[in-house]
Order: sequence, then C-alpha cells, then structure tokens
Amino acid sequence: MGVVKQIWVALTGTLAWRIPRRARHLLWAFSRAELGSALDMLAAVEATERRDLRKKYFRHAMDEWRHSVIFREQAQSMGPTDAELAGRDEAGMLVENGIVGGRTLFERLGERDFLAFVYVAEGDAVEHFEVYHRLRLPNAGTLAAMDGILKDEVFHVTYSRAELDRMAQGGQGKEARRAILRTRWNRLKERWMRLSRDIGAVTSAVWLTALYLLVIWPFRLIARLDGGGWQVPPVEPRDRLLAARSEA
Amino acid sequence: MSTWILGISALYHDAAAVLLCDGVVVAAAQEERFTRVKHDASLPVRAVSWCLHQASIERGDLDWLVFYEKPLRKFERIVATDVATFPRSWRSFPRHMHSWLGDKLWIRGRLVDTFGVPTERILFCEHHLSHAASAFLASPHRQAAVLVADGVGEWATTSLWRGSDQAPFLEPVAEVRWPHSLGLLYSAITAHLGFAVNEGEYKVMGMAAYGEPRMREQIDRIAHLEADGSFSLDMDYFCWHWHPTRSATPKLAALLGPQRLPGTPFAPRARPGDASAAVIAESQRHADLAASVQSWLEDAMLHLAGHAARTIGTDTLCLAGGVALNAVANHRLAAEGPFAHLWIQPAAGDAGGALGAALWAWHAVLGNPRNDLPFRVDLGPQQDRGHTVEILDDLGFRYEVLEEAATDRAVEDLVAGHVLGWVQGRAEWGPRALGHRSILADPRGADTAERVNRRIKLREPFRPFAPSVTAAGAAGFKLAPAAAAPARHMLVAAPVQAALAAQIPAVIHVDGSARVQVVDPDAHPAYHALLERFGQATGLPILLDTSFNLKGEPIVGSVVDALATFARSGLDVLYLDGIRVQRPPAYIDTQPKASS
Repeated sequence: MGVVKQIWVALTGTLAWRIPRRARHLLWAFSRAELGSALDMLAAVEATERRDLRKKYFRHAMDEWRHSVIFREQAQSMGPTDAELAGRDEAGMLVENGIVGGRTLFERLGERDFLAFVYVAEGDAVEHFEVYHRLRLPNAGTLAAMDGILKDEVFHVTYSRAELDRMAQGGQGKEARRAILRTRWNRLKERWMRLSRDIGAVTSAVWLTALYLLVIWPFRLIARLDGGGWQVPPVEPRDRLLAARSEA
Repeated sequence: MSTWILGISALYHDAAAVLLCDGVVVAAAQEERFTRVKHDASLPVRAVSWCLHQASIERGDLDWLVFYEKPLRKFERIVATDVATFPRSWRSFPRHMHSWLGDKLWIRGRLVDTFGVPTERILFCEHHLSHAASAFLASPHRQAAVLVADGVGEWATTSLWRGSDQAPFLEPVAEVRWPHSLGLLYSAITAHLGFAVNEGEYKVMGMAAYGEPRMREQIDRIAHLEADGSFSLDMDYFCWHWHPTRSATPKLAALLGPQRLPGTPFAPRARPGDASAAVIAESQRHADLAASVQSWLEDAMLHLAGHAARTIGTDTLCLAGGVALNAVANHRLAAEGPFAHLWIQPAAGDAGGALGAALWAWHAVLGNPRNDLPFRVDLGPQQDRGHTVEILDDLGFRYEVLEEAATDRAVEDLVAGHVLGWVQGRAEWGPRALGHRSILADPRGADTAERVNRRIKLREPFRPFAPSVTAAGAAGFKLAPAAAAPARHMLVAAPVQAALAAQIPAVIHVDGSARVQVVDPDAHPAYHALLERFGQATGLPILLDTSFNLKGEPIVGSVVDALATFARSGLDVLYLDGIRVQRPPAYIDTQPKASS
C-alpha cells in the first residue's frame, strides 16, 4: 500500500472507529459486505467451469460467512443500531449496495476477472486490517477477532494470486495483468460513482425539501386521509383490458 | 397455440415470478431463493429466467406480463399522504420523491427493458385484487367471500370481495384505506418488541403464547373494532404515514412502556432459565404485550369475517395478504368464525401477488373459465441429479446414493435422534417448508426443540416448531372442520390433545398448540411415505418440520445452498433427493455460532 493510501486509511479509520455510533455502523457494514462476498463465492461454486476451484470457492464462502457473524456480534456488543431500534427491515440492503442482483458477480465478470476481483478486494482488506492493527483500532476485542479474519484473508489473496499466476504460466499473462488493472480501475470508478450518487442524493434532498416547504404546504388545506372504517371501492371499469393496461 | 402469462411482484418485499400456460401454473418462485437475500424486493430477474427455463420457452414467447399493483395509484397515495401530513412528512417527502421519480414510477419501461415484453402486453393488477385472486382463483371454490388484509397496497389495507364463477370473478365490496392497517399495527408492535418489521412478526406470534392479554385495554385504546364490521386506529400513536423509518410515535411507548431493545434476553415466567427477577418481569411484560396485540388481531379478523358473512352470504371464506399468515388467528377463524370452509393462499404475502395477478389476467381480463385442477405448492426448482453428484464430488463431501432406500435410512437416522436436512423434489411455493426443503427431527425428544433452535437453526430459543403428520395420525390435533384445507399448508395453529402433546414435546408450543401440517399423499408423496415409515417404526406418523434455512436467511434453493447451510449448521445428515450426505469435510471451518 502506498504511503498516501496508508495515511488516508489511518485518518479515516481513526475518525470512524473513535466514535462509538460510527464504529457500530462500520462493523455492521463489514458484516454485510462479508455476507455479500459469501453469496458471491457460493454463486461462483455453482457457476464455475473450473471444477478444481470449487473447493477453494466453497471454503472462501464459509470463511466470509464466519467473518460476517463475527463482525455482527462485535457490532451487537456495542448496542443496537438505529435501524434495529426503528425495527426497520434491512432486507434489500445488499441489493441496494450492488453486491448481488439480477446477475451474480461471477456471471458479470467471468472466471479470470472474478479471480482478479477476489485478489484485489481481499488484498485491500488485508491492508486495511494491518493499518487498524498498527493503530490498535478500535478495541482489543474487535482486534482479536480481526486477527483471525486477517489469516483467512491472506489465504484468499494467496489462492487467487496463485490461480492468476497459473493463468500467466499458461500463456495468459497479459490477460491476467489486465484483469487486475481492470479490477483496480473498476473499483476506483465504483467509488467515484458511489460518491457521485451520494452527492446527488444530498443535492436532490435539499431541492426536494425546498420544494416541499415552498410549494406543497398550500395543498395541505385540501388534503385529507381516511378516518378508518369501510369505504366504497372504486367502480369496476367496463373495458377490462384497457383498464388493465393502465398504471392508474 | 398456448397462452403464456408471467406474473410479477417486486420493488417492496418478496419479489416473485409465476408462469402460467393456458391458466395452469407451471412454475413459481421467489427471487430470494436465487439471490439468497431474504425478502429480496428487486425485479425477479433470476426467478423469471428460471421460470422460462423450466417451461423451455424464451422471453419472446410470453403473451402477457402482469405486474401485481398499479404504480401510479400507489404514487398518488404517497404524494397525497405527504401533503396531508405536512409538515411532519418533511423527511419522508424527499425520500419518496427520490425513490419514485428515480425508479419506481418507471416500472413499465423497466419491465419492457428487462423482460423484453412489448409495452402493450404489460398489464397492471391492483395490489389487493392480486391478493384476492391468489386466494379465490387458486382455490377449488366457485363462490366465496374473499378477505385481504396486509400492510397496504395502493390505498386499501383491508378489502372484501365477492368471488363468483362468472366474469369478472371478483367484485369489490368494501375496503379499509390507508393509513388504518391491521398489518402495520402488528408491525408497529413487532418493532416495539425489538424485532425487524416484515421479519419479526412470526416471533411476536410465538412470543404471544408466553403471555396473557393483560395489556388488551391499552391495545383497545389505539385500535377500535367499528360497529360497521370494520376497524380503525388512533393515528396519534403511529407515524408510518409520515415518518421515513419509524412506525410509532412516543405516545405508543408512553402507553405500552419502553421499547424492547433488539437482542434483549427473553425469559418469561414459563421459561425463566437462570434469569434475574427483573429480566423475568420485563420479559413477561413483553410477552403480555405480544399476547394482547395477538388477541386484538384475532378479534379483528373474526369481526371482519362476521361482516363478510353477513354481507356476502356464503359459507366459504378465502384469505390472503400478509395477515393471513397468522396461524393462530386462522385457527380462531376456522373454529369460531361463521364459515364452513376456509381457503388460504400459502404464499399469502406479496409473493402471492404475482400468482394472483397472472390468474386474474387469464380469467378476468382474457375471459377464460375456471379449471378444476387442484392447487399445488411444489412449483419451484428441482435439483438435477448429475449436477448434485458433480458438486458433491468437487466439494469433497462423503455421500451414498440410496434412491428408494433413502426413506428407510432416513427413518433410521431420525429414530437415532439425528436431525436431517431434507431436500426432495420441487421447492415449495410460499414461506412454509412442507417437506420439500425441510429440516426434520423426531418430535419425541424433550430437548429436540432447544437443540434445533440453538445448534441448528441458530435462532431465538423461544420459537416453536411445527409438526407434519399423515391424515391418519392427525386425530390428536383439534383442527376445526373449516381448517382442513389450510392445515395442508401449515397455516393453522391448533390445540393438541394432552396425551398426544406429552408424546411429542418438541413440536408443542408453550400454550399446548401446534402449527400442524396434515400431509396430502398426492401433493407430497415422498414426504408422506417418510411419515408413514416413521409411524411404522415409532407408532407416531409425526415429524418436526421446520424450513431448511438459518436465522435471517431464505430457505435453501440450489444444492450448493443446501450444502452451505448444512456445513454451517449442526445438522447431522443431509438427504438430497435420495442421496445421503454426511457431515462436511475437514477443510471447512464450520464453527456454528449460537444465537443469544
């Protein structure tokens, strides 16, 4: 990891971990990310044509699931999150985060790019955990849990690197290198897109709130909600096909 | 030339796809079984792909695609509510607009782009009509009152329909509108009791059995049964119509006591363990609250059913909507309600809307008559034997291919006290495992329930398990005659005779009831054979049956999911369509984590 990146991770890590509420959310985010990775790995077990890799993917999936549980338990030990207190259903969180969806990561990337993704993502995780370890963040209990996870992550980096090296030895060196570069570029692009989306969400929230406060309020005078009890349903339309085509 | 109709539910929770060929369901599945995200709400791309693959057709062969609700009408309700609750809705409004203007409002275009169906072939069915159709048009009945109760659709939260054998098959009779909602009331108390909404409602129902309705008076203050046979809520206590994340205002906590924090130990008087007196008292308060809201909900369902009977004048009631999954309320409807016949859609939640929308299009829009085919629940994916063996070999699992002998071997395992993962045939439609994707155990062991909860399902120890039984062995379950059909889909919790209850403690809840499945041999032949063989071996054709999943996860879909769940749980042995699989190989670190 470059010095700039190390400083960045150290700075953001220190800020995030020192605030209990933020630390709790971070641990939950880690837990969800690990769960998403486990699902990606299980999908890879199903879809891969490299039968010799299935066992490694399966073990990797089991590791990620275990990590997810560890992070969740660490987060829970710090108290409930706002979402939990609100009784909010967090289903769909993984989908919203783009971790899973209509197509699995393996289907989108294919074997080589998937391995490159595993190698780069797990490598990043190892580097982050090493920085946290040096800074003794966030606390002794979480650090101890992270030590076990770190060992697993090193295995994930090692086997994915070994497979990419094997591809290189088989005459696909250029493709393997490009896959790693492509992954790094895509991860940067995704971060930028996420930041853009966040900025867009904040901007639209500001404008929409302004619209709400300035334009909506007069209509309040005529808007009413039902007071409960049976109401008469809308009249059935005559042309059912025409009505069925309507979204209203 | 066959007519192919694809029904879809999506974007809120429990996305699903259902494929009809000339009005017959050929495939139905929830998206969560493929993506492994519980209650996955995204467009059901993978479920649709599987449906098409199952029927060996292409996207271009689809004649109609039916979405399970009317998006513009729903948007109208959201905007109208934000306006009516100004200025309290200031946090909701931007979120709603962002979500709708950025995505949900353009559902027609997304459906065209994603599934390749021409825009004029896309239909929209009202949310509650989809539910009503899923109950009535899938049932064997030709005349019925149809009651739908859930959180909310477009405007309706509870609706009453007249089902008949003539087009349009379903006529709206009356509806209760947003924000007054049975489903959301129950969800608000679910959140108050520290559980996630849309996930923890079953836990509240399970918790209720540990309490007495001592807080019924408080519930009666916030929820009223009206003289016209409906209900209303005191909306000062709730904020789901204007708050983006919370269901209840501080007034609710002032009335009912402080909110239970998630993960708080639950040790009521009936199972105190080594908890302190303070914890026991607090747990009992929570159990009493759960019992109170459960008691009110049961009364409300009886109240609504009474109105339905008086208005529609039939002896049959069809039920759908998330509230119809409340097995305790269903028992009271069957035992005390005015109807001789009760039929409940097994996928009564939003997933069932996909089925109802497709059936409605076939019958009501296209004008086709009803058929006499019985409704089946084995509508999901089945594992390919060759692929299963390949995966087992590649992952290094030890297994035996037993074929027909698997039944006898499974009985030996069960009698020996082993807990089994059981994957057999096509997956079930709906949230209940009915012997196709199940965890099975001998119900006679006193510690079996605790063991399965803690070591295998990794979930809260107070949650009950259900029994499956053959019709011949069902006499000890006090099922009302009207409960015969719902009991086939594990939708009714009935009292159990004391003598039988003493023999099968693992499946008897603390109040002496059990959510029993009476297994139909035609619908579930392999599972029925297993129960019969177990009955021959032990004298009791009854098994503990719980869904094959871990806490917070969907029921297993693929063979890899089954193996991963097997590896992470404390299951002793796994049966995959006649293949007996032993504990996972040593390379997998499978230290299961017990829940608190």
